[in-house]
Amino acid sequence: MNPHIDWRNTFPKIVACILAAPALIVPLLTDNPATLSTMILSGIWAVVAMGFTLILWTGQFSLGQAAFMAIGGYTSGILSARLGWPFWPSFLTAGLVSGAVACAVGAVVLRVGGFYFSIITLALGEIVRIIAMQWQSVTRGTRGLVAYPPEAISLGFIKIDFEATPVPYYYFMIVLVAVTGLIYWRIGKSRLGGTFFSVAINPMLAEHQGIHLMKFRVMAFTVAGVFTGLAGSFYAHFLQAVTPYMLGIPESIQVMIMSIVGGVSSLVAGPIIGSVVLYNLSQFLQRAGSDLQTSGFVLEGIQPLVFGGAVVCILLFLPRGSGLIDLWTRFWKRVYKEVDFYELPEDLEEETNTH
Amino acid sequence: MLIGIWVDGLVQSCIYTTMAFGMVLVFSILGILNWAHGQFYMLGAMVLWSVVMLAGFPFGVGLLFSALLIGVLGMLVEKFIIDRVNVPSASGALYVTAVTIALQLFFVGGASMLWGRLEKGLGMVMPGILSLGGVNISHQKIAVIIFTLVVMAVMYFVLGHTRTGLAIRAAAQRPDAAMLYGVHVGRIKTLVMGIGCAMAALAGCFMAPIYPVSPFMGGIPMIMSLLAIVIGGIGSLTGAIVGGVILGLLNSVIAYYLSYFSEVVLFALVILILLIRPQGLFGVPVK
Repeated sequence: MNPHIDWRNTFPKIVACILAAPALIVPLLTDNPATLSTMILSGIWAVVAMGFTLILWTGQFSLGQAAFMAIGGYTSGILSARLGWPFWPSFLTAGLVSGAVACAVGAVVLRVGGFYFSIITLALGEIVRIIAMQWQSVTRGTRGLVAYPPEAISLGFIKIDFEATPVPYYYFMIVLVAVTGLIYWRIGKSRLGGTFFSVAINPMLAEHQGIHLMKFRVMAFTVAGVFTGLAGSFYAHFLQAVTPYMLGIPESIQVMIMSIVGGVSSLVAGPIIGSVVLYNLSQFLQRAGSDLQTSGFVLEGIQPLVFGGAVVCILLFLPRGSGLIDLWTRFWKRVYKEVDFYELPEDLEEETNTH
Repeated sequence: MLIGIWVDGLVQSCIYTTMAFGMVLVFSILGILNWAHGQFYMLGAMVLWSVVMLAGFPFGVGLLFSALLIGVLGMLVEKFIIDRVNVPSASGALYVTAVTIALQLFFVGGASMLWGRLEKGLGMVMPGILSLGGVNISHQKIAVIIFTLVVMAVMYFVLGHTRTGLAIRAAAQRPDAAMLYGVHVGRIKTLVMGIGCAMAALAGCFMAPIYPVSPFMGGIPMIMSLLAIVIGGIGSLTGAIVGGVILGLLNSVIAYYLSYFSEVVLFALVILILLIRPQGLFGVPVK
């Protein structure tokens, strides 16, 4: 055995991989389209929630992530339905356009920080929606655009047909989440992630260390914009439609709640856990609600009630409101009987934040 | 006709102003934005509707009861949820935001379970029309404007000329120093949250006889009052009032000329104001 491997660090990761591995073989176990599409959509929301967390790591609170999804969705919808582009180039262009918009908007808007940034991104989301609704000649207004599914890919021995079953979409989602997660994870581990964090925790100190705040804020916003745009394009092509009502303020807020409930201390795992848990919870509640309704037992509004209550309880009863991912860290601390190091950073944080 | 548009705008301004005032008050003491404020507004109107239409009490009783009940609800929310989630660290504000947004869903769901999703009307409380040289204004709208002025005057009196108001202002400026002088800041926080929510409920009650009441009516006034306090400068009470008036007037006057496009103009205007003057019209710059 190699003595240099830090098993305390490695073992939890191996367990995490083993727990995540069944995601790869889900289509073999079930071919129920409803289950698969729920999982595909929670994967899409995971990508978007990761972008939110990345922006949060620079200390900014974006409430317009759904707007970038809408930009991505509309870009690839217009390119494929209006101009007749194939799926793949329009998918990639959607990411680029969304990233370019994020860069341009961020360069102007990130000058004002904090709450103001949240409000402006909120307003941006509304503006995108209204433009999509009113610019009839390009976006077809409220009727929306049809986003065709990707063309079938022939690999010689096997033909990947996107129209017959959701299985290809499922693997596409896995690849998208994996690539995004890998890139975000590398960013988080690298010097860049540390810089982002220092910009968030103590902007004044970071500036005095020679860190150009705006540069890193715009950078994070742009990276998040690119992947959110890709996710939006995928979302549109999976649902085969893009309308102004699909992506608005409620969706942006949903992304934010997913990211926070999952835990913002981790850039990849937290958003994934949060979006999978919450999206499935909301879908389950919706289905349970309609089941109740068909059995003649009408309970209007049970879904938002339980969903909101569950989120409040999670934030209220998790230790120090640190999200679901923290349970995992705590579990391994308990296993290794380590001291709870959480006391120290909290005190330090408190010190830096008292003005 | 045009004067009617301006009066409508003024009525909307009154509602936004009352809500924005409560939000700013909560923000200045608790340091958080209460994203469920619009839902307290909705609950206020719903409670009023039940008291007036189901129990048959007069409008005034319903108004007071609703403000009191929603105020107590706000206090409970502050005491048992917000105060526990709001850890003194960078992430505290984040969790409060998430919790209040979750509460928003919770209240909407609860209200649609209790009262159903359909829109309800309260009926005219003050029938009659005031004619002023060819311009007709219903008494109802005049009453809303007068009531709002009264509420504002009372709030200014309470904040400026009573011991509680002094304690609130002290806790807003320097919580530590206020604590040293014997102000129970925790209790002040709960009280202020109660006042803020009661003001939201009052705004809902003013509005209930004019517009229909439904569980989903909180969203737009919430966003509008948020924009109002951002325009006015977060933390400035005068700013909240001015922002509310500006937004209410803009909302109805621009909508008269530009119909749907008015929202783009509205949001673009807000972004422009923030880019030129990031601290808002009446705010103090923060670094």
